[in-house]
Amino acid sequence: MLIDIRNLYKIYNEGKESEVRALDGVTLTIDRGEFVAIIGQSGSGKSTLMNILGCLDIPTYGDYWLDGTDITERTDRELAHIRNKEIGFIFQGYNLIPALSAYENVELPLIYQGVPLGKREDMVMEALEKVSMEDRWQHKPAEMSGGQQQRVAIARAIATHPPIIMADEPTGALDSKTGRHVLEILHNLHEDGTTVILITHDNGIAATAERIVRISDGRIVGDGTREEVGL
Amino acid sequence: MNLTQAIKMAAKSISSNKGRSALTMLGIIIGLAAVIILVSYAQGQNMAMKAYYESMGSNKINVSAYTWGNSSSVDVGQALYDYCLQLDGVVGVSPNGYIWSSPTIKYESKTLSRNSNRSYGGGGVMISYDSSNDYPQIYLGNDKFGLCNDYVISNGRDLSYLDVENSNQVCVLGAATAEYLFSFADPVDKTISINGTPFRVVGVYKSKGSGTDLGTSQDAQWMSESIKRLDRMILLPSTMTRLFNDNQPIEEYVVKVKNSDAIKEVTTSLNGFLSGIINTNSGSYSVYSEDTWQNESNEANAMQQRFLGGIAAISLLVGGIGIMNIMLVTVTERTREIGIRKAIGAERKSIVVQFLIEAAMICGIGGIFGIGVGYIGTLIVGKLSFGTILIPSAAITVAAAAISVALGIIFGMYPAIKASGLQPVVALRAE
Repeated sequence: MLIDIRNLYKIYNEGKESEVRALDGVTLTIDRGEFVAIIGQSGSGKSTLMNILGCLDIPTYGDYWLDGTDITERTDRELAHIRNKEIGFIFQGYNLIPALSAYENVELPLIYQGVPLGKREDMVMEALEKVSMEDRWQHKPAEMSGGQQQRVAIARAIATHPPIIMADEPTGALDSKTGRHVLEILHNLHEDGTTVILITHDNGIAATAERIVRISDGRIVGDGTREEVGL
Repeated sequence: MNLTQAIKMAAKSISSNKGRSALTMLGIIIGLAAVIILVSYAQGQNMAMKAYYESMGSNKINVSAYTWGNSSSVDVGQALYDYCLQLDGVVGVSPNGYIWSSPTIKYESKTLSRNSNRSYGGGGVMISYDSSNDYPQIYLGNDKFGLCNDYVISNGRDLSYLDVENSNQVCVLGAATAEYLFSFADPVDKTISINGTPFRVVGVYKSKGSGTDLGTSQDAQWMSESIKRLDRMILLPSTMTRLFNDNQPIEEYVVKVKNSDAIKEVTTSLNGFLSGIINTNSGSYSVYSEDTWQNESNEANAMQQRFLGGIAAISLLVGGIGIMNIMLVTVTERTREIGIRKAIGAERKSIVVQFLIEAAMICGIGGIFGIGVGYIGTLIVGKLSFGTILIPSAAITVAAAAISVALGIIFGMYPAIKASGLQPVVALRAE
């Protein structure tokens, strides 16, 4: 079992009138090599769940084991290492650093990992080739289309060869053709053995996953195949 | 992430935000240059004052002592002279008298007098010429007069003990007077006349300096004029008082002491001695030294230096606040970037180190330019105000540079530490 969360809560303004339960007792397990789509309406808590799964945020209550490690007990530094080595993030808004070129953006996680220069060059170019962006390595984000930026973001996410890819609405800002291409890349990664967790509100995109988790008001209301969750 | 990587990243970040980096640097450049220029100016002022006091004669004590009527049976001058010679620390004593009237001085066709001469130029235009501007002070002193007043012989010899003892009709000329009367000729052994009495020139004193290096301010011009005036002089043996001052005793003396430490001691002794021989009902005396004035002036200079230093410190502080402001804006603007970096595995330390290096590089480069501008500014101010090459002191430069870099680093680090402590998801939400 790669991911194991039990009774996870994320509560904002706890005890106040304005209390919001973004996650309200979520229990979920994900095995290595799965392609899981987490779907739900806007505000359902799916992004909060991904942020906690990706160690970008901490739960208010509950347990989270990642590959057998209790995440809730980890220090800030240890969480940074987990994010760097275990997880690759793909965001809806690409989240590339504007001042850096495609190459430099992809290189960044490898620098933080301490990969030596020669090996780093090979790994960056390999990642860019996987998303067919090797010709645009010198370009800055502003000089690329949305689809190209998202491919660079994917290259950055896979550069360190993490066992998990977490994608939060990766096609949300793209046209349908580009979106399909991005989805294809994610499926290719899955075929190569990477665990992919895809957050989306689009049922059509979620339907391409082998397992779908439906979330509503901070609770899991469905978990299974396309047919089982009624897509 | 190693240091080289961090430096490369910081350099990349600075170069990709040239405008903002330049603005931050500008604050440091202005602050640092202002400190260097202002403090150097104050130091230049100090140097000028020091030069002035040195040219006036250092380590000397002026004594005036006189009695009226026949109330004193003691020859005050002789008693003072004898007393001074047996004091420790005294190098020489000389009468420091001058001729009360303004006798006409002549050498061949050249005349120096207090009266204005009028002549008519071509076309009947009246040309007025007043040689009184060049009219010298005629001193009455002895063989130690030059030593006591820091005059050095450039040509010929000084007055001798015998010149005074024998009332020889000889004189020593100041540089300006020698030049006026003799132009380029050698005055030694030539004879000038003072009120018709011939005096053989035995020597010429070196010029005390042009005084042009004191600057162009009103004070500096006054000091410069005072120094030039020192070269307009003629020294006669003190015994010539019988020819020009109705044989009245000389009441002014100058006492030269070996160093500034001896001034206080000798002044106290002289005051004690004079109070013993002069009854204040029938006479008067005073003892004062240039050092008294110099100390007052030093105090004023120190105040000025503190004042200018204060202004400079304020400008540096304003520069520092400017840096903090820009750093705060920079980091706030880059909170999302910090979130991205944290999301892909940057440790808090890496973020802080990157911003720290950025701040240090900006401040360092700004500091170098600031020192450069400060040096150039100091050179210009030195030339314009003091007519000399003024170099800022290394201690001030290093201190000001260190302060500005420290300000930049401290103010730059604070927002970086704050931002790096955010949860990645919070930083990522920043717009």
